[in-house]
Amino acid sequence: MAILEVNNLKKIYTTRFGGNQVQALSNVSFSVEKGEYVAIMGESGSGKTTLLNILASLDKPTSGEVLLNNKKITAITEKEISAFRRKNLGFVFQDFNLLDTFSLMDNIFLPLVLSGKNYSEMTKRLNPIAQKLGINNILSKFPYEVSIGQKQRAAVARALITNPQLILADEPTGALDSRSSESLLKLFEEINNEGQTILMVTHSVKAACFAKRILFIKDGEVFHQIYKANMTDEQMYQKISDTLTVVSTGGAKNE
Amino acid sequence: MNKFFYSKIAANNIKNNSKTYVPYLITCILTISMYYIMHSLSINSGLDKISGGGALKSILFFGTIVLAFFSAIFLFYTHSFLIKKRKKEFGLYNILGMEKKHIFKIMFFETIYTVIISFTLGLGFGVIFSKLFYLILLKMLNFHIPINFEISMTALYYSLIIFGVIFILSYLNTLTQIHLSKPIELIKGNQTGEKEPKTKWIMTIIGIITLGAGYYISLTTQSPLEAIALFFVAVILVIIGTYLLFITGSITILKMLRKNKNYYYKTKNFTAVSGMIYRMKQNAVGLANICILSTAVLVMLSTTVSLFIGMEDLVRTRYPRDFVVSMQNFTDDDVIVINEIIQDLTNRNDMKIKNEIKHQFVYISAPREDNKFLKTSERIGYQNISNIRLITVSEYNKMTGKNISLNKDEVLLQTIYGEIKENTIIFEDKTFKIKERIDDIEAASSQSALMINSYYIVFSDKEIIEEIYLFFANEELEGFSYYYGFDIDSKSENQIQLYNELVAAKNQKGFSGLIESSEEARESFYSLYGGLFFIAIFLGTLFLIATVLIIYYKQISEGFDDKQRFEIMQKVGMSHEEVKSTIRNQVLTVFFLPLIMSGVHIAFAFPIITKMLAVLNLTNTTLFIKGLIGTLIIFALFYTIVYSLTAKTYYKIVSYKN
Repeated sequence: MAILEVNNLKKIYTTRFGGNQVQALSNVSFSVEKGEYVAIMGESGSGKTTLLNILASLDKPTSGEVLLNNKKITAITEKEISAFRRKNLGFVFQDFNLLDTFSLMDNIFLPLVLSGKNYSEMTKRLNPIAQKLGINNILSKFPYEVSIGQKQRAAVARALITNPQLILADEPTGALDSRSSESLLKLFEEINNEGQTILMVTHSVKAACFAKRILFIKDGEVFHQIYKANMTDEQMYQKISDTLTVVSTGGAKNE
Repeated sequence: MNKFFYSKIAANNIKNNSKTYVPYLITCILTISMYYIMHSLSINSGLDKISGGGALKSILFFGTIVLAFFSAIFLFYTHSFLIKKRKKEFGLYNILGMEKKHIFKIMFFETIYTVIISFTLGLGFGVIFSKLFYLILLKMLNFHIPINFEISMTALYYSLIIFGVIFILSYLNTLTQIHLSKPIELIKGNQTGEKEPKTKWIMTIIGIITLGAGYYISLTTQSPLEAIALFFVAVILVIIGTYLLFITGSITILKMLRKNKNYYYKTKNFTAVSGMIYRMKQNAVGLANICILSTAVLVMLSTTVSLFIGMEDLVRTRYPRDFVVSMQNFTDDDVIVINEIIQDLTNRNDMKIKNEIKHQFVYISAPREDNKFLKTSERIGYQNISNIRLITVSEYNKMTGKNISLNKDEVLLQTIYGEIKENTIIFEDKTFKIKERIDDIEAASSQSALMINSYYIVFSDKEIIEEIYLFFANEELEGFSYYYGFDIDSKSENQIQLYNELVAAKNQKGFSGLIESSEEARESFYSLYGGLFFIAIFLGTLFLIATVLIIYYKQISEGFDDKQRFEIMQKVGMSHEEVKSTIRNQVLTVFFLPLIMSGVHIAFAFPIITKMLAVLNLTNTTLFIKGLIGTLIIFALFYTIVYSLTAKTYYKIVSYKN
């Protein structure tokens, strides 16, 4: 059963005085099954970020629709959208987006507090997640007191704590060194193996290797896709690199 | 390179930074014109023609100095804030290949523009409005003298010098700021993560103690003279307390709130509490400043406005009758002579005497301990000194038309100030029974001006009074003092003429004593209190501008810091409405916390201020309460307007969609 369905998504940006029109997405359709781990790759300006923003319900498409669990998120009213986002989506950002006024624990609690959960339930949820992410002894620290790798783990914990239908990750390894990247990606893999659906936008071939399926976007369209299936990481790495070369040198579309 | 290059960039900078530049320019213009007006008034030759004009001029001159002093602080502070905000911009210039000397050049042109705009408009408005303010001042002081209006070169000259120096200092400050900075730091600006402030229990407790001590002094001080002495102690304690509580107390409270999990982890409180902890760290001093400034404004305006409105009351309190004649060492014959002189002069001028009060008394002063008056040469606190007027019962009966008789050991007591609880009064070793407590000796109110313990005591006969006098003064009583007060139905000029004639006659006869006329004194009262009120308005306006400016800049700068924070919260699932209400709550707290605190200060200061006003002859507490409430309402209104404008700008800055 498809957890996320994207049909004929189109997004046109109009500059402020109605002059130039920029087509960010021309026609994007794909679907994500429950428990999948999908990476979206593409060059700068290919429309990745626009796509992610629309999936995150931060932006509205010009036309087309997005279905999450058969619910049309493009039709949700402005009022309900924040609550919807809180309940169904978890976010991991490149620059972590942790609030420096909160301790790591409070940062992780933020979406739960916004949903009005009580304190005992919040701690009950936090414990197993903190354990898994290995951050349970730095929870009372503030973001400026911990390493970037730990920051990103806290951000992942914040995404997981609401038990979201889908985790959206925007270049999650973008700001990390290679060792932290590696361990974060392992973590994602692990979470995914436990049944969590993940959709990740990335530049990094290495990050994409961990995904089970990779979509390539070019000029606002899904250009190509690869399944990992039984490939080893090395084979996968090779295949992605080859595909990227084709994508960027402008090869014809092939399935 | 085009020689207009730098000047053009400078002009553009001012335009692009208008959000912060315009308030600064307005402040410059306002302070310059206020300074000019104040200074030109203080040296206006027209004021010399007023009785008490000299005093008025020195009050105004003093006001000018205070005004200049505070203007300098505010302008410098505002400007350095402006520069700090723009560090990133300077860093960008640096990276784009400009040398520091080029940035100096740009800043030089910006300063020049600021100077030109501020001086032209500031002095322009100053010259135009100084005439208006001169008229207002004269109107307030109740004077009708021909207007001689002049553009004061001296005032112009000093405005240019003083504010010129301020601008130069600001420019030099800019130069050092730019000079000391490295481009990479400039670019980063204020993005370094801030440490969470620590809880400081000891400081918090000291804050509470000092504030409490200040309040305690105000609540417990009884004697008005003591009030004057202790007021400044109380003010300093309260200022220290305010700073400590804002800086450490606020954080202590917020952290306690955060420890309370059930309170803290609620949508409404979660972001507010944690946000406020950081906000208080950066703003505590600013908020304490605002609190102190607004308290100062409120106290200054409410007292002076009450004094000014209550002027007639006040003159009456000080002078219970139009004329008050008090003579010392009078024999009964002398009384007849002076009464004849007064009768004579009033008849000749066709005036009628009304509401007479006459009595003869003996005056002594002695320290009091409970109900005992002591004879001592030891130094004792002024709060124990008592003024006692001794009157014979026959004189009292004559005054009031009563028919009371007293035994030798009985007295009547009228207390003006400083209650005696016991039923007896002891003069060293003689004990008198208080037969009755009275309140119908009329001249009493004139003594409230002195505001130390004072009593009228009525004795059965003259011999006892002479005995007491001998004992306390160590000399034979030469004669009683004579007090004669009366009203006169006549124009002010005639009354002043009569006053002069009376004084002349008194001197001719060689009587020792005092003749006072309320008409004669009224002008100097008006010059004094009118002048004070006028200055209070000026300084009040200046402080208000400063307050507003501090708040405005604080909000704007925080808006930029908070923008990112609110973006994150929206991404994590906070709705637009929630963001809006969180912002509203935070801004509201930051804005109104100082105002509420200064309201509390004033409430506690009320007892001591009323006592001090009593020394200035204002005993009408209702009037003061009205003045206070009026000032408070106007202030709060103004404050609210500024709040709503600022909140709007703030929201515009932080709202997610640019």
